[in-house]
Amino acid sequence: MQKKDIPPPYWKWIPAAFALAGIILFIFATFGPPASSSGFVSTLKGVIQTVSPAYVETKEHYSMLPDTGSWVFAFVLGMALGGFFAARTFSIPVREIPEIWEKRFGKSKFKRYTATFFGGFIILFASRLAGGCTLGLFISGSTQLAVSGLYFGGLIFAFAMLTARIVYGSIAKEEK
Amino acid sequence: MTSEIWLGLLSGIAFGFVIQRVGATNANKMARAHLMIDADIPRFMLMAVAISAVGLLGLQASGVGRILIIPTSLMATGIAGALFGIGWGLCGYCPGTIWAAAGEGRMDAVFALLGGLAGTAAFAHLHENLIPLLYGPTNVGQITLTDWVGRKPLAVAILAGVFSICIWAISMIWGRKKSAVHQ
Repeated sequence: MQKKDIPPPYWKWIPAAFALAGIILFIFATFGPPASSSGFVSTLKGVIQTVSPAYVETKEHYSMLPDTGSWVFAFVLGMALGGFFAARTFSIPVREIPEIWEKRFGKSKFKRYTATFFGGFIILFASRLAGGCTLGLFISGSTQLAVSGLYFGGLIFAFAMLTARIVYGSIAKEEK
Repeated sequence: MTSEIWLGLLSGIAFGFVIQRVGATNANKMARAHLMIDADIPRFMLMAVAISAVGLLGLQASGVGRILIIPTSLMATGIAGALFGIGWGLCGYCPGTIWAAAGEGRMDAVFALLGGLAGTAAFAHLHENLIPLLYGPTNVGQITLTDWVGRKPLAVAILAGVFSICIWAISMIWGRKKSAVHQ
């Protein structure tokens, strides 16, 4: 924890929610429902079709989404740029391993990177099965009153909270 | 086509910047949210959705914006929600924050991004087998709250009301101390 007289570098949640909602509405007005897991499909489609165009053509999942010359790819690329600009103008440097992870599993980068690779794998596998992610299904869907988004949102929070309890176990109590 | 790319890039930069500033790209903060210690991110997400839903009603009333409802498949959406939650709880990133966190220079997010590409490739390869098996049979279609309550403004009011109650409950239940300064 920092000392009290240093202002917290993170934005407060209420103004941040207004800022994000403004961007979401801008996206609805200029494109349509925002989505980010589709960007993964577009990235892969762009790469794979240069090597094996025949494979991409036979696969339904690549046919249903555009390649890298699209809004969805530009959006995820923009997110990476936004993260880059934000980090360059932020007072706290990024850590290689999150504090709470280090407390639980130590300083091994191999362990952390293996876990995030595996986590990333199932998150995207699941997103493509559901047809969206936190943004493309929960946020976009619920904004449009879609039952799929609310159903998915309830489940992801419940399972993430359960998993975090299992992963961090006793550390959770210390953290408080 | 070209204008679409510029709009996507601009939207992505703004989105990535805001989610970094609120701390959503910080896996430590996300883990603390899942452990019910730090209430900021869940409240931020729910409030952003509630405001957007009201705003979208306004956009649509003036004939602006494109809507696309993703169908609900009880089984596929359910299994996917459970799997997604496990991955989210494990690594603290979701498909959107992965890109912004990787842009920030977090190496663990770069590995999550690579894992995500592998997971996408795996699903795309199995799409023809899995969609008819898991998605089709329990697909109840593009249902929305409006189908249940009749009128769209009423549905938006209910959504905003329920989300406000959730935000209030999270404020009560999650750790009471100010955690915004915690990295």
